[in-house]
Amino acid sequence: MEAILDKKNLNDWIAALDGWDAYAPALEDGVWSYRPASANAALAHPNTVQPPKGFAFPQREIFFRFEQIKGEAPRLTPVQPEPGRRVVFGVRPCDGRAVPRMDRVFADHVDDGYYRARRKDLAYVGLACHKPQSRHCFCKSVGGSPVSTEGLDVLLTDLGERYFALAVTDVGKALMQAGGALFAKAGASERKAVEQAHAAAVAQPQRGVADAAAAPAALKAGFDSPLWEELAQGCIGCGICTFLCPTCHCFDINDEVTGAAPLKGQRVRTWDTCQFPDFTMHSSGHNPRDTLGSRLRQRVSHKFRYFHENFGMLQCTGCGRCVSQCPVGIDIVQVVNRVAGSI
Amino acid sequence: MGDNIYLPQLARIAHIKEEVGGERAIKTFRLEFENGGGFEHACGQCAMLSIFGRGESMISIASAPHIKDYKQFSIMRVGRVTAAFHELAVGDVVGIRGPYGNSFPVDAWRGKNLVFIGGGCGLAPIWPVIQTAVAQRGNFGEITVFYGGRSPRDIMYQAELEKLRGAVDVHLSVDKQEEGWNAFCGFVPANLMDKEPSPDNAIAITCGPPIMIKYVIENLRQLGFKDNQIYTTIENKMKCGVGKCGRCNVGKDYVCVKGPVYCWDDLKGLPAEY
Ligand SMILES: Cc1cc2nc3c(=O)[nH]c(=O)nc-3n(C[C@H](O)[C@H](O)[C@H](O)COP(=O)(O)OP(=O)(O)OC[C@H]3O[C@@H](n4cnc5c(N)ncnc54)[C@H](O)[C@@H]3O)c2cc1C
Ligand code: SF4
Ligand code: FES
Repeated sequence: MEAILDKKNLNDWIAALDGWDAYAPALEDGVWSYRPASANAALAHPNTVQPPKGFAFPQREIFFRFEQIKGEAPRLTPVQPEPGRRVVFGVRPCDGRAVPRMDRVFADHVDDGYYRARRKDLAYVGLACHKPQSRHCFCKSVGGSPVSTEGLDVLLTDLGERYFALAVTDVGKALMQAGGALFAKAGASERKAVEQAHAAAVAQPQRGVADAAAAPAALKAGFDSPLWEELAQGCIGCGICTFLCPTCHCFDINDEVTGAAPLKGQRVRTWDTCQFPDFTMHSSGHNPRDTLGSRLRQRVSHKFRYFHENFGMLQCTGCGRCVSQCPVGIDIVQVVNRVAGSI
Repeated sequence: MGDNIYLPQLARIAHIKEEVGGERAIKTFRLEFENGGGFEHACGQCAMLSIFGRGESMISIASAPHIKDYKQFSIMRVGRVTAAFHELAVGDVVGIRGPYGNSFPVDAWRGKNLVFIGGGCGLAPIWPVIQTAVAQRGNFGEITVFYGGRSPRDIMYQAELEKLRGAVDVHLSVDKQEEGWNAFCGFVPANLMDKEPSPDNAIAITCGPPIMIKYVIENLRQLGFKDNQIYTTIENKMKCGVGKCGRCNVGKDYVCVKGPVYCWDDLKGLPAEY
């Protein structure tokens, strides 16, 4: 389904989405973040600092609460995600491509009910990029594209005064149908305009990974390269690169105690990172990844090798956040190119 | 467990045995499920045990699968959760979810000689295999158990090991000589070289501290064991147990799903990050 939406009708469309809570990027304190859509939402944002991954996989989530009177059996009360359909507007194609990658992880082996409960009620309305959002973008080199529809339910393309809207999934189609007469039929001239816009977007130069197809094998061959330690020098182990990554999914599980007699508390999941030394440190002090280089290698190899070995696709979608937000300038593109180029 | 893969079942401590004292004490806990709960397990699988308010720890199921009334766990006191376990008493209720991980291919080993090599707390993960092999004694050839601790006081399952004698060759060792110790003195890998078990029609199963495993495998290969005759377990830190949290990741494997049991033939192809 293809249709045309006048930009001035965007907010009416959002308002017409009965039963859906809508979110869109908003500029707050100088930072672009996904927020509940305001009545005058406009999709004129560079990419958000945080990817939209938290909608399906929040930074902190309670699994269950526990309560135990001394000497008695504990009582457990499961906590389920709040029900409700949510639609996220303005998702860039790199972040859209992260969605099926996260879906794979959380459904593989056994299904994670918390992720599924959120994900099944989530829709993503993407926005094609006419030009790279920053000099750090490298989506094209990792199999993506500034106009990719992968993982999205609707893709909007900005045609000046109007959006060209393409329904990618049935959910996307239903969202567009809910807009009713706000959408106009797309004619031949608009089809042509969108084709041209997409071709121009794809033709925009980007930096990139030199040979992504060869990366899994090259990183395997370069596992023992001294470059890992060299390139990791300066890393302060903050984990920003992973917390802001749209496909990083590592987490911790901890008990939070809120009362002593009776014992009360909750078991929570929080994002975690392979960049912290104690992520892998055994209680004995033995640490399988005890150097900065081994932890950089883990992050990069997971994206460009291990995930590919398991699922046949790269886990990196080229959003560039880990590069632009790293306080010490460690650059995953450079790391892959240097290690792969050295073998 | 149903739809909520992180919600534990409840189990009551039916029995506690102090195996080893000292700073890194080991206690064995017998857990019986509450509320008609439970699950089946295979040799080598683990469970996530929890004390509410403290957290969870992945622990090998040390009882054999054919024992249905309870599950047994031997826990070494090393940190926050394990220390809290050592404070518990019979009747206390804890959380348990599982079973997690793969298992030892015990059925495929019928007719073979089995050589077990354990150190420290590493007797627990292979104990269900030993118990299963002894329970089906006629299905297996010679069974040999090597096990060592730092001192005679660090030998776990002492009474049970003594009971095995007759059905099984048991070779114990301690790191340093002490009065009254008549068996081997030295590290476990050295005891192995002293007794020289034959690789003919044999499977070697080793479990213990990473450094011990490293030398045991070197020595087994020196004795002529092929890589596909050697099995071990690896114990990376774990949180979820279901291949999602990333903690236990080694190469492409989440050890909580693909492991903890590995044939050395497969393990040698993974990065040595364990
Ligand atoms: C497959 C497998 C099988 C195993 N089998 C056995 C076995 O049979 N017997 C055995 O004894 N061990 C076994 N282990 C090892 C056992 O899991 C660890 O020794 C145990 O989890 C250590 O937990 P701990 O809390 O006592 O240690 P700690 O080192 O204290 O902590 C481990 C985790 O607890 C949390 N934590 C610790 N301190 C704090 C704090 N102050 N505040 C907040 N969080 C904290 C952290 O998240 C940390 O990651 C096995 C491990 C694996 C992977
Ligand atoms: S953001 Fe940079 S400094 Fe922080 S952990 Fe990642 S690579 Fe290291
Ligand atoms: S323990 Fe979470 S992935 Fe293995």
